[in-house]
Amino acid sequence: MLDEPTTNYLKKLFETKLNRSMKLYLDTCARCGLCVEACHVYASMPETKYTPVGRAEVIRKLFKRYFKLQGKIAPWLGETIPFDDIGMDKAYEAAFSCTGCRRCVTFCPFGIDTQQVMNIAKLLLIGVEKQPQILAMLSDMSVAKGETYIETSDSYIEALGNLEPEVEELAPTPEGRKAIPINVQDADILYVGLSGKHSIVPAAAIMNAAKENWTLSYFEAVNFAAWLGDSQKQSKIAQRIVDEATRLNVKEVVVVECGTATRIMKFMSGKHSFKVLSIVELIARYIKDGRISVDPNKFQGKLTYHDPCQLARNGGVIEEPRYIIGKLTNNFVELTPAREDNWCCGGGGGFVSLGEYDFRMKSGKVKADQVKAAKADVICTACENCHTQLTELNEHYNLGMKVESLTNLVAHALI
Amino acid sequence: MDPQTTSQTTIAAVSAASSQAAGAAVQAVSGASQAVVHTGFALFLDKVYYFIMVPFVYISIIAMFIAIIWKIVSILSTPAPAFTLKTFPAKKHPMLAALGDTFGMPSIRKRKPLFWFFLMWFHVGILFLILGHFDLFPNIHIMPEASRDMVGAGFVGVSVTVPAFYFLFRRFKGQEKQISVPADYLLLLLLLFTFLLGDMISWGNSWTANGFVMTKADFRNYFGILSSYSFADPRTVLHGSHYHFIVLHVLLAELFMIILPFSKIVHTFFSLPLNILRRK
Repeated sequence: MLDEPTTNYLKKLFETKLNRSMKLYLDTCARCGLCVEACHVYASMPETKYTPVGRAEVIRKLFKRYFKLQGKIAPWLGETIPFDDIGMDKAYEAAFSCTGCRRCVTFCPFGIDTQQVMNIAKLLLIGVEKQPQILAMLSDMSVAKGETYIETSDSYIEALGNLEPEVEELAPTPEGRKAIPINVQDADILYVGLSGKHSIVPAAAIMNAAKENWTLSYFEAVNFAAWLGDSQKQSKIAQRIVDEATRLNVKEVVVVECGTATRIMKFMSGKHSFKVLSIVELIARYIKDGRISVDPNKFQGKLTYHDPCQLARNGGVIEEPRYIIGKLTNNFVELTPAREDNWCCGGGGGFVSLGEYDFRMKSGKVKADQVKAAKADVICTACENCHTQLTELNEHYNLGMKVESLTNLVAHALI
Repeated sequence: MDPQTTSQTTIAAVSAASSQAAGAAVQAVSGASQAVVHTGFALFLDKVYYFIMVPFVYISIIAMFIAIIWKIVSILSTPAPAFTLKTFPAKKHPMLAALGDTFGMPSIRKRKPLFWFFLMWFHVGILFLILGHFDLFPNIHIMPEASRDMVGAGFVGVSVTVPAFYFLFRRFKGQEKQISVPADYLLLLLLLFTFLLGDMISWGNSWTANGFVMTKADFRNYFGILSSYSFADPRTVLHGSHYHFIVLHVLLAELFMIILPFSKIVHTFFSLPLNILRRK
């Protein structure tokens, strides 16, 4: 058992998460087991601890122990567990074996959101300083960058200048503008990329081809604190972008191929004066409006698409990538299942950042099998984590495919 | 006289005769039971039976409603989620979709059709079960007044009992066994025994050589005592050895009502709000 002050502290932390939806989630589960087969980790490694209900039960058993009458008078009824090392280890295993893909939400007859329940586990782990240190460090760095970016802005702008020839190779820069504009007041679009050039160059080329009045954000879109389960830092990281968009008076914030970042900016960062959309939605709009055209013969071979969970099931970007792919090729095959039913690749929830190679490869087996069955030459996706995970699954399981980002495919097919 | 009229006349005659006979028998039994003055343990048991059959009914119903209201208020008093928890594709009519999720359980139908079949059978059965019990109140007439059967003539009870067996047995194998906790089994056993005793009362008590031991009219008299708050002893209207089973049935139902707000059965109230969260 943990000492009393620590237990009380953890109870207080737990209580901060008990909003309306969480109380409903913790009280209502019937343990019907329908969610069991929803989880890609369980499908790849069939153990109870890898079922959505198995994970949520860890938190539910703590909840019953400390917040329910049943836990006080008959703890054996719900097999409650205390805040101790074993309990915290279980919480870690539950929280960091869940990618937060929310496939189980669509299986559950009540729509219980295991990702949300796992946020309690993550907060408790922060409370006892058992959170993954890599994510904690990356979150702190993101927060710090929001506070000190002006000091490093000159070197950042200089680095962007070095990328401009690569952008020019893909599409000409509109007259009077920079290939990668930054800090443009009253721009129509603020594009938020990642730290790597692969997230900036293709998107810049596409926006330049569309003659867009855009500007690049100083910040990366990725929100490590969301995976860490630190909602305060998550807000701070998102707020830097909100502040920048507000300062520049942009009409839209466009988020790079990153499912979590898109979902956070779209749904979890409050109401804004600007609209938030993903780069995939922007590209689809450009093609529909005739602002860009792509060569339908540029891409060769059979193509399939992996729906990133946070973008499709949790973000509603389902038709747009298919519309874009329809312009790129007529040799497209869907994965089975696809769209909102798609299997998680196993790279979400910060797992790629954490490393966790063995676990990711084992838990991604069902994904590898699914991809293999599609017999495609290329698999494309619209999420950085999914891209990395699919690339590693491709190598690990010898799938013999090429893994591409959708934005990159479009950028290289621009006419 | 047409055949139908003949038939009705015959039924009326038989009914009157059996009613008279039954009435005489009841009076005899009643007289006999009134003549017995219980002492010691029998007296204690009488008092316990009375408590279960009258005051505890009110106590358990009031406790259930207070606890449910308290629970709903405590949930409503917490902050709403700060962002949408819906999944996509978004539905054109989220409320209709949530109602469909709640009452049609399409996610189960799609993935586990047998489980869905039993769930639907069970939940529809529960609705009829509630109707059947409402029908026992003096001013409510779902079944014909003269009917000796409760709603469904025993089929309603079986309709909840068979699925309850299925729900229990499925928890003894596979992942369902792994994820179950003692409360899951105990709750199902409580329901199952309540249903089985109900089956015995509503249906099984007609299996005797002389037909019904107790009819709907007897149960209606008992419900009349409850709804009139007369606090009369139900033994004066429920005669015969089946009374013990009725007491046990009522006790288990009372226990169920008391634990309902603290058990996963709260999904009765929370399933729709949860599905709204998923859809809006």
